[in-house]
Amino acid sequence: MRKAARTALWAILCTWMAGWASGVLAAQPAGTAGQLDLAAYRGKVVYVDFWASWCGPCRQSFPWMNSMHRQYGRDGLVILAVNLDQVRADADGFLKKYPAEFAIHFDPAGQLAQSFKVRGMPTSVLLDRDGKTLLVHEGFRSKDPPELEASIRKALH
Amino acid sequence: MTKTLLKAAVALAMAALAGCSSLGIKPWERDILARPEMALDAAPVDNAFDEHIYFSREAAGGGKGFGGGGCGCN
Amino acid sequence: MQLKNPQCGPGLRAGLIAASCALLSPATRAQALPEPEAGNQVDAGLLYYQEDKGRVRSVDAIVKLSRDFGDERALSITAAVDSLSGGSPIGAIASRSVQTFVSPSARSWNPGGGGDDDDEGRPYQVAPGNQPLVQDFHDLRGALDVNWSQPLGVGNKLAAGAHFSYEYDFLSASVNSALSRDFFSKNTTVGLGVSAEFDQIKAVGGTPVPGSDYSQLAKTRGNETKQVYGAQLGLTQVLARNWITQLNLSVDKGSGYLNDPYKILSRVDASGALLGYQFESRPDNHARRSVYLGNKVAFGRSVLDVSLRLGNDDWGIDSQTVEARYRFPLGARTYLEPQLRWYRQGAADFYRLYLTGSDPSDSHMSADPRLGAFTAKTVGLKLGVGLSGGSEIGVRLSGYEQTPKVRSSTLAGLEGLDLNPRLRAAMLQVDWRFAY
Repeated sequence: MRKAARTALWAILCTWMAGWASGVLAAQPAGTAGQLDLAAYRGKVVYVDFWASWCGPCRQSFPWMNSMHRQYGRDGLVILAVNLDQVRADADGFLKKYPAEFAIHFDPAGQLAQSFKVRGMPTSVLLDRDGKTLLVHEGFRSKDPPELEASIRKALH
Repeated sequence: MTKTLLKAAVALAMAALAGCSSLGIKPWERDILARPEMALDAAPVDNAFDEHIYFSREAAGGGKGFGGGGCGCN
Repeated sequence: MQLKNPQCGPGLRAGLIAASCALLSPATRAQALPEPEAGNQVDAGLLYYQEDKGRVRSVDAIVKLSRDFGDERALSITAAVDSLSGGSPIGAIASRSVQTFVSPSARSWNPGGGGDDDDEGRPYQVAPGNQPLVQDFHDLRGALDVNWSQPLGVGNKLAAGAHFSYEYDFLSASVNSALSRDFFSKNTTVGLGVSAEFDQIKAVGGTPVPGSDYSQLAKTRGNETKQVYGAQLGLTQVLARNWITQLNLSVDKGSGYLNDPYKILSRVDASGALLGYQFESRPDNHARRSVYLGNKVAFGRSVLDVSLRLGNDDWGIDSQTVEARYRFPLGARTYLEPQLRWYRQGAADFYRLYLTGSDPSDSHMSADPRLGAFTAKTVGLKLGVGLSGGSEIGVRLSGYEQTPKVRSSTLAGLEGLDLNPRLRAAMLQVDWRFAY
């Protein structure tokens, strides 16, 4: 039994070391995604949403963002959905099923997500007209739309 | 397992947990893990039948379990 | 496949597994396109299991309903029905002459009787050289599992479940619960689960006095009970974009009536001549521990699932399990998944293939092959075809072979006899997942 248990501990140790090593050795994808110049949006309230085709809750958030765009677009709300798919075709497939009336920015290398310190998927960031961060919201649940809409309205006025 | 080995296994698990802060991927890199076949419980019918058969024919049993993995959304 | 074996109550393992499965219910897991929005699905399966040499044959059906109630609250209900026929080893070894046994319902020994009297059961004979089997004549088992999972506070998930199973001589009820929490941007998940199981054994024909002479059929009427308590500590860790690993430590403790009321042992003299039979006698406590390490690694669109499990208990049984599955696509919607499993266990301290004169009658003993030393291999192949909307059908064919370590004896009277035959079984499974 000692021998078998020793085998187990070695197996566990090797698994973890291999995983750690593969993470360390994994090369960062080359940054070719365009840097986003948020200065262009000064004067507008910007709702940045980080999403991906594989993110389930994003299927609920897109219709809601469409309705926000329709309601508050003329008041100065800009919705910017940043896609983090590594394969563009996956994102296109999602957009076919859930069309967006708002702007989509593609960030396959995750540079924008990195600079916004995204901690979960999806993540939405609300910026006021001066570009200051008003709120950072992780996830999208059924109880979120009223709270998020209230924050947007407050930022617009 | 002897008590020593059990303690060692728990200690290893805790050390692993402590070292876990450097292990892992970014939240937006979970596309592969979000695939249904990468779920820990991807084949519930297969697993249920296997557990049933092996439980009826062998002395050991169970051991698998718990969540984690997936897209990590919400 | 309970096979009238009171040790077969799956409540505990089903309990912990159920709680843990609830924590990763399809409802809380993102689904890749083109699957439907809500995490609702039905999983159904049919299994045909057949052992060789006229042993057990069974047909099992299972249906699992999973429903997402939004905000990560999910319910799953699983119902299973098994129908068995055939027989399993009674524990006595083969002999050079014809052997006679009575069916479990017998309360008095009259091997020459016609079996008209219920108390006499039905005597049956086993040809020379054959492994004696218990004749199973009742054949239906039903089981129900219910599991609920929901968030608890911020960042924690709670799961709770119950299991119930019924067959004419065995009843099992268990409850389980698990709490888990994510760390480090959900790269790490730690969970703790507990479960409690209560079983009732109503042996057909009554419960035999453990270790007593088989021909006396000294049985008590009345129900026996057993309890099993278990706990599991789990750690799930994302190692890379394509690799997730899981480490589980499990313990459980059973107490109460742990015998199989239908199993006996042969007693032979120094030359191997048959002296008689005795009912088995197991301890009334059983503590088990196991360590499980599982991995899922994706290579392109293929997935490799590799796991290792080590276990031991206070009955002296050590076990090692290694399992690997490799799923690879055959086209846009089809996949093939070969499966391999290797398992080895050592014998329980009180396991005996047969008793000799030197074995005392009053110690623990059992000839149940499930407690003996053996190696088992499984080879299987699954074919899956994806249907629209995230649904899928699958077919799986596998073969299982169990090879005992000790199969013969050097005693003169037992030479040339296969005292512990290999077990071979074939399984055909058809399953269907319907997502809506």
